[in-house]
Amino acid sequence: MEENKVASANEEMLNIKGLVVHYETEDEVVEAVNGIDIVINRGKAHGLVGETGAGKTTTALSILNLVPDPPGRIVSGEITLDGQRLIQFKELTEEKRAELEEKGAWAPSEPALTEREYEHIRGNKVAMIFQDPMTALNPIMPVGEQIAEAISLHQNLDKKAAMERTREMLEMVGIPGIRADEYPHQFSGGMKQRVIISMALACNPSLLIADEPTTALDVTIQAQVLDLMHELRDKFNMSLLMITHDLGIIAEMCDEVSVMYAGRIIEHGTLEDIFDNACHPYTQGLFNSIPNIEDRKTELRPIRGLMPDPANLPKGCAFCPRCDYAMDTCAGRKPEKVWLSDTHCVECHLYQAGDTRRKL
Amino acid sequence: MSNNAATAAPAESLHKIYKRKSQLRDVWHRFCKNKMAFVALCILAIIVLAACTADLFWDYEKDACELHISEKLQHPSREHLLGTDEVGRDILCRLVYGARVSLKIGIGAATFALVIGCILGSIGGYYGGKIDSVIMRFTDVLLAIPGLLLGIAIVNAFKPTVFYMALAFGISYISKFTRIIRSSILSIRDQEYVEAARAIGAKDSVIIFRHILLNCMAPIFVQYALCIGTRILSVSTLSFIGLGIQAPTPDWGSMLAGARAYIRGNAYLVMGPGVALLLTISSFNIIGDGLRDALDPRLKK
Repeated sequence: MEENKVASANEEMLNIKGLVVHYETEDEVVEAVNGIDIVINRGKAHGLVGETGAGKTTTALSILNLVPDPPGRIVSGEITLDGQRLIQFKELTEEKRAELEEKGAWAPSEPALTEREYEHIRGNKVAMIFQDPMTALNPIMPVGEQIAEAISLHQNLDKKAAMERTREMLEMVGIPGIRADEYPHQFSGGMKQRVIISMALACNPSLLIADEPTTALDVTIQAQVLDLMHELRDKFNMSLLMITHDLGIIAEMCDEVSVMYAGRIIEHGTLEDIFDNACHPYTQGLFNSIPNIEDRKTELRPIRGLMPDPANLPKGCAFCPRCDYAMDTCAGRKPEKVWLSDTHCVECHLYQAGDTRRKL
Repeated sequence: MSNNAATAAPAESLHKIYKRKSQLRDVWHRFCKNKMAFVALCILAIIVLAACTADLFWDYEKDACELHISEKLQHPSREHLLGTDEVGRDILCRLVYGARVSLKIGIGAATFALVIGCILGSIGGYYGGKIDSVIMRFTDVLLAIPGLLLGIAIVNAFKPTVFYMALAFGISYISKFTRIIRSSILSIRDQEYVEAARAIGAKDSVIIFRHILLNCMAPIFVQYALCIGTRILSVSTLSFIGLGIQAPTPDWGSMLAGARAYIRGNAYLVMGPGVALLLTISSFNIIGDGLRDALDPRLKK
């Protein structure tokens, strides 16, 4: 397995290691992301699933170093994009390091680039599609101007050439280029999302982050938008980080899946690993919450309870209070990451290294 | 996809379907639909035009400043459309030259306050934190000083010229602009399209000007127009109590002050500058409102 990783190192588009993001206010510390690892290879799509508040969007914003600060802070971790460090660990003296280890604190990180350099990466190498197309466009600017802005920020084009390219981009997503002079309120929701997609793709990014791109759209438009993204991904060989809570979209779009719960990735694997061999009780709970079209008599079995308050996470496994299989160890100790196969790992006390099949 | 048909259509017919009007023409069209605003704009245009072309009809030194005691206190007639004042000067002539002073100071002061207020308000609202606190405490200090008093102080310390008066009245309005702009920016700063602009790599300055400030143009415009109106009134107030523009330079405030003594017998003396002030100030206010409605593309029908 280790050999595999070395061999594929130059193919790595995005590598997130031990990312920790907290929102710190005067009264409390909200632990939004607590040490997650994600690797996305060139041209691959990675799905990030989880409930509202699991830390999916925060993870995405960390890649662009756009976590609202204050109160947000990237506490620890390392992010590498296409060989370039975006977030790095701080250099520490030996004493300081020992002191932190003794306390069990995270090794502190800092941005590796200046704000200027981040601006160069945002929209150029990494683009982001936002959840709600209704609010992600500036209402008083014609849409073409907004796309042209992205283009002229990163490419040395004069105004005319940028507008020309804007029209091409709009045509590509199926909007007549002539509508570039219209305002966002003259478009429907699905068309707005397409405008946003064309804006994100305007500079041929190597990584596209799609933050619930279809949540605000109705199903017919959803299918169109997903088709479009699929097509464009193949065309430009982009990597894709797809954030969603819809397992159907994951099944359609992604090669690998990470399931996130309370700021941790509790299960990770290929599409087959997760869909055919879901091991974590939470992942199974997610699947049980979807209606089964083949067997209409089966009852829906939702996961009981709610996600724990991220400002006050349980000491042991965060899922323990909602888990049907909770054991004594679960409440007291955080589960370690267990590799079930080369591609499939899970964080749950039910599994030990060497296990390969689901136990539930 | 649903748009393929439209995409395939020849570009020429598309141009017909999506007939574009330029944005300025759009705004102008919507502005003209508002009758009140249009009338106000016409009145203001006449006042501005008169102020600009005054030299064609009158000689500034001879008609507006020199005394002609023999012609004093004449009622309106063909030679003097609005009559003459207590020292025989043509009132219409002095009104027109007075408009120059009022408009210069009003617009100058409002623009000065707007520029400084925009800079302070944007920085405070967008960045927040300590900078914001410092800026807001600074505006609190400015707010605590009565505007007229500050005007008197500055004008006395320097000279009662147009430049210093604009400066003096501008300063007292900075805090209002800063507060309005800051609060508008606070409400827009966290919108998703601002985040989206950051995600495509736009610089802070671009985000503030293109995405945020343009979106809060409406309250800024209204405030700007209101501000011009009130500044003109302040100038007149200062001149009325004799501390502003000094005689013989014509100014509406000092004309009112001079005419006050004759209000029983010669009421038309007060009418001229009074009506001029009323029309100018209310025109600015109505135009501000009209502009706000016209500039908002979301109100398009």
